[in-house]
Amino acid sequence: MCASVKYNIRGPALIPRMKTKHRIYYITLFSIVLLGLIATGMFQFWPHSIESSSDWSVQKRSIRDVPVVRLPADSPVPERGDLSCRMHTCFDVYRCGFNPKNKIKVYIYSLKKYVDDAGVPVSSTISQEYNELLTAVADSDYYTEDIARACLFIPSIDLLNQNALRVKETAQALAQLSRWDRGTNHLLFNMLPGGPPDYNTALDVPRDRALLAGGGFSTWTYRQGYDVSIPVYSPLSAEVDLPEKGPGPRRYFLLSSQMALHPEYREELAALQARHGEAVLVLDKCTNLSEGIPAARKRCHKHQVFDYPQVLQEATFCVVLRGARLGQAVLSDVLRAGCIPVIIADSYILPFSEVLDWKRASVAVPEEKMSDVHSILQSIPQRQIEEMQRQKWGSVSNPLFLPLIPPQSQGFTAIVLTYDRVESLFRVITEVSKVPSLSKLLVVWNNQNKNPPEDSLWPKIRVPLKVVRTAENKLSNRFFPYDEIETEAVLAIDDDIIMLTSDELQFGYEVWREFPDRLVGYPGRLHLWDHEMSKWKYESEWTNEVSMVLTGAAFYHKYFNYLYTYKMPGDIKNWVDAHMNCEDIAMNFLVANVTGKAVIKVTPRKKFKCPECTAIDGLSLDQTHMVERSECINKFASVFGTMPLKVVEHRADPVLYKDDFPEKLKSFPNIGSL
Amino acid sequence: MQSWRRKSLWLALLASWLLILLGLFPLLRLAVPTSPRAGAPQGWPRWLDTELLQSFAKPGELLEDGPRPPQALRGGSCNWGACFDTSKCRGGGLKVFVYPAAGPVSETRRRILASVEGSRYHTLSAAEACLLLLLSPDTSTGERDPVPPQWDGGRNHLVLSLHPAPCPRTFQLGQAMVAEASPTVDTFRPGFDVALPLLPEAHPLRGGAPGQLRQHSPRPGVALLALAEDGGRWHVAGTDFSACPWDGRCEQDRGPKQTHPGATLPNATFCLIPGRGPDVLHFLQALQAGCIPVLLSPRWELPFSEVIDWTKAAIVADERLPLQVLTALQEMPLTRVLALRQQTQFLWDAYFSSVEKVIHTTLEIIQDRIFGPSAHPSLLWNSPPGAILALPTFSPSPSDFPFYHLQQGSRPLGRFSALIWGGALGQPPLKLIQAVAGSEHCAQILVLWSSEKPPPTRWPKTAVPLTVIDGHRKVSDRFFPYSAISTDAILSLDAHSSLSTSEVDFAFVVWQSFPERMVGFLTWSHFWDEARGGWGYTAKRTNEFSMVLTSAAFYHRYYHTLFTHALPKALRTLADEAPTCVDVLMNFLVASVTKLPPIKVPYGMWHQEARPPPLEPGGPGLRQEPQPAAQNCINQMAAGFGHMPLVSSRLRLDPVLFKDPVSVLRKKYRSLEKP
Repeated sequence: MCASVKYNIRGPALIPRMKTKHRIYYITLFSIVLLGLIATGMFQFWPHSIESSSDWSVQKRSIRDVPVVRLPADSPVPERGDLSCRMHTCFDVYRCGFNPKNKIKVYIYSLKKYVDDAGVPVSSTISQEYNELLTAVADSDYYTEDIARACLFIPSIDLLNQNALRVKETAQALAQLSRWDRGTNHLLFNMLPGGPPDYNTALDVPRDRALLAGGGFSTWTYRQGYDVSIPVYSPLSAEVDLPEKGPGPRRYFLLSSQMALHPEYREELAALQARHGEAVLVLDKCTNLSEGIPAARKRCHKHQVFDYPQVLQEATFCVVLRGARLGQAVLSDVLRAGCIPVIIADSYILPFSEVLDWKRASVAVPEEKMSDVHSILQSIPQRQIEEMQRQKWGSVSNPLFLPLIPPQSQGFTAIVLTYDRVESLFRVITEVSKVPSLSKLLVVWNNQNKNPPEDSLWPKIRVPLKVVRTAENKLSNRFFPYDEIETEAVLAIDDDIIMLTSDELQFGYEVWREFPDRLVGYPGRLHLWDHEMSKWKYESEWTNEVSMVLTGAAFYHKYFNYLYTYKMPGDIKNWVDAHMNCEDIAMNFLVANVTGKAVIKVTPRKKFKCPECTAIDGLSLDQTHMVERSECINKFASVFGTMPLKVVEHRADPVLYKDDFPEKLKSFPNIGSL
Repeated sequence: MQSWRRKSLWLALLASWLLILLGLFPLLRLAVPTSPRAGAPQGWPRWLDTELLQSFAKPGELLEDGPRPPQALRGGSCNWGACFDTSKCRGGGLKVFVYPAAGPVSETRRRILASVEGSRYHTLSAAEACLLLLLSPDTSTGERDPVPPQWDGGRNHLVLSLHPAPCPRTFQLGQAMVAEASPTVDTFRPGFDVALPLLPEAHPLRGGAPGQLRQHSPRPGVALLALAEDGGRWHVAGTDFSACPWDGRCEQDRGPKQTHPGATLPNATFCLIPGRGPDVLHFLQALQAGCIPVLLSPRWELPFSEVIDWTKAAIVADERLPLQVLTALQEMPLTRVLALRQQTQFLWDAYFSSVEKVIHTTLEIIQDRIFGPSAHPSLLWNSPPGAILALPTFSPSPSDFPFYHLQQGSRPLGRFSALIWGGALGQPPLKLIQAVAGSEHCAQILVLWSSEKPPPTRWPKTAVPLTVIDGHRKVSDRFFPYSAISTDAILSLDAHSSLSTSEVDFAFVVWQSFPERMVGFLTWSHFWDEARGGWGYTAKRTNEFSMVLTSAAFYHRYYHTLFTHALPKALRTLADEAPTCVDVLMNFLVASVTKLPPIKVPYGMWHQEARPPPLEPGGPGLRQEPQPAAQNCINQMAAGFGHMPLVSSRLRLDPVLFKDPVSVLRKKYRSLEKP
């Protein structure tokens, strides 16, 4: 898995006194900032491999011992932020030297205290939050101490809150960093940009080409594909534990919890509340709280007092209104409470918009439409609201999703798995070679103790015949993605399936073309739930339903060979090889799981080996075999964590099968009845 | 495994989704246990006195982010909230007025005008329009263009320009949005402007050339790379690309040069497209060819980037990293290659293959902005059949459409509504009603009474509700999205159809497996008639079919919405005039959406003998040979769609034990096999 994820799992050093959830927040924040950069195309091709960094422990020092740097009044100031910067113009990719073992390396400048000529500090040394963020980065595998190897540089100068720093002097401090070079490849973090009265939407500190991960960007200041928008951290969300809340109706339809709102907005909200009564709740600051209760944790409506942020969980929608700044800390609280944010902040660049689809979890309403917000939200159907509350991302995606009927001319490759039944094998080869669309025949010789017959002894057929010898007698050899397979369609066939006619096989291939993402086969089987034993049972009787086709005779897309060989979940592949059984059931599980679709059984054919055989062919005769097969189903269902097989009641026959119609005019007259 | 070690883009993205799945927002509550590492002291220090550190913001500072009066418009810069007046779009939704062309009109402009006029949003009245469309002139005459009459500072205007603007515009854009081909990222205003593709001169108005992808996976031995060259040509680099072909520094070994003449499509897995100006034309070629576009530091905004998730179909790479890009392409996992290839084809076909699609996509994007929360979810834009064919007015929930059940993990509702078209029949079809009502899956019966006679007052007693709807005596009425249809599935019937309960039951169970297709009993097949130089179709029994008759077929109710609201009016009128055409039209519609054939299920031949002759001459008869006039209909439909969407099938889905020589008692659908 990608570094960022693995990193989370491994869990790096925990500094004393630092709360785990804070850590996770900063780790995630940083990872997503990096992902944002990756999404812009800069690092798309970076090998995100994990270098197991050598164990290390940290230095323990006092914050009071930080060295002091005096900035002369005339020291250089960087250019203002370059709005035309893009990755390919302002980012120096060559510093991120390519090496398969490397990943993006991040350097953090050591902490210093900057003072001006008069000895007055230019900013607070470092805030709790910025220290935690840098600690998280330093603990990650991205971190390097070697400034020469670094691709990204993070100054330790704390820029999170513009109010807490002196703009010009801070810029001078940035400019004197040892690798500053116009800010190239420097990443700055800021959550509260601008200041009164204009409140710029991006950090005012001149920063030249430096990348900015900022809270509250607007479309005018955000450099798409260069900057990254981040959420404004809310200490409240981190401090209070809120229980998970499932989707469903809540007590209030719409809630506003922000305290310092512009009077015009407050009027609009009050009007909304007057119009819609109980459904809308507009909260404000509490005026008469008794001593000792933190005002930040309480909200009031008239004389009613509410706990904050808990009250957010009582509402379906929560308003996030622009204040002086576009980015509002309340957004973090609202999201965490599972309330759907209604964002009323024109031109606001939502956090991580490069990688997140905000439409699925929020509603944006133009400021001008604020008075209509209730009717806009009312028009959203309940089902969509629940989907937003779930904040669900990701789902089953069929790897062969494009509706497409491959050309007939491509043909198929037959793969016969054999051990030593040469006579039967030759019969199968001769029969299969009569199928018009066969383009190549591959024999997988699974017997290491015996050589395959000499070339001259093999049946002469009209298509190339190739024998592949395997290193070990394993069932999985039949599903190996051999280079020799040049067609998309593969016919897997056992060396004793002698009864399938050429018409049946050709028709099977035609059916596969119409369903190229499915297993299309002849022997149909079913799985059933055994209520007495409370487990799955394998069924090979002739029933009205099918959920599997055996790969003793089945067409499928060669991509599934790749999946079977390289992407089979859990230990299934080895388990099958060790038990020498159930590779066909495993393939059915694999295909059904990845496509979500049922198999197609073709033609009525039920006997495959000899006319006199019983319905259940040799393979599946005895009772122990049935028990083993049932065990396989239960084992696979537990590895997949679900039962992916789909039951259907249909099979595919030629259009005119058994119709009262001259046989000689039928395309596939020779379809056996059993 | 090497591929495991050297992870490229998709793994990173996968990881990002995983992160998101882990719950990006609830991450604060995640508590992953962590353990300290040991070793030599270095790195970022652990402060002994962290309690001295203060929060970055004072307690009140975050909560009381001082109020500020609503922002005034910034000069020159516009965004959707500030510069578009959606109040004009209330009621009728998006209504588009297009300024008529003055003077001689180029072919491309004529096509654009035709596309807008053919769209469901078009209006002839500038006063009722909420969007006014202005085509920017083909060539700058140097003169100041006259300001259009309803200009109003550009408010609610969209200035459409199919070519990137080389020179400054001749009039002030004011508050107008710009839909421009390949805009540079520097001037593009996301969420306000619309990025268009750069279309070649000869781009067809309608239909358009199909994608070139014939199979899901790349053919073995096909070249890995094609490199865009000047003049719309491609240099196929083969598999030997040790020399990075676009980088001047390693030009000495370019390998044998196979240059495709003219604008032929590249035959390779990946198509490298330099990010500068003229090469954007290559982008569409690559999409059409199913060659995965690898954009090297593009300076232009990708087309329709507001809604299309290009990470699913293209790769954006840094042109300064040739070796890394090549390595990553070579090692890209098969699954991702397959997914990217297929997505290029889907996007080409859904949004780019004709001028009409490009224009309709542009209008759809604006419509989505107006709809706000009820707009198309991203899934509908980025998976087949695409947002133009998935009307957001039908439902905001993807599970209500027939297309997204797999992605959503949902299933269509488990019952159906039978919709019986009365036609000119004066008698209630008693037998048919009984047979259909006998199905355990039947939720209700709707009779569409279109006869001049008043409907009978007495209807047979049935176990399910029976409702009579008064039709408008037009054939196309039968595909109207009546609000009474409460189920996902519709069983469309004619009064003179004949079906047994068993047939209905089995067909419905099959439909549940294929909710996006039509499942029918009687079929027609189309063919190319060399002699007449046109399409023809026949009801004769053949080994294949491409249409099912709507006189007895299951399909999703969404197709009624599409039929009524998305088809060009001209085609529906055509169907009303020649009633057999209505079957052809419905089959065309479903096939053009699904790109798949319909499904045939068994139908007892005894119905044929029992069936009375069709009462309505030329009406949708059962086994009737289409009349010459009807033969012409298929050609008019093909012209209207811009291509022939029908797809043939050679199979029929039967019950698993259908006509097997086993005891009939074992069979679930035994009455399907009446002799």
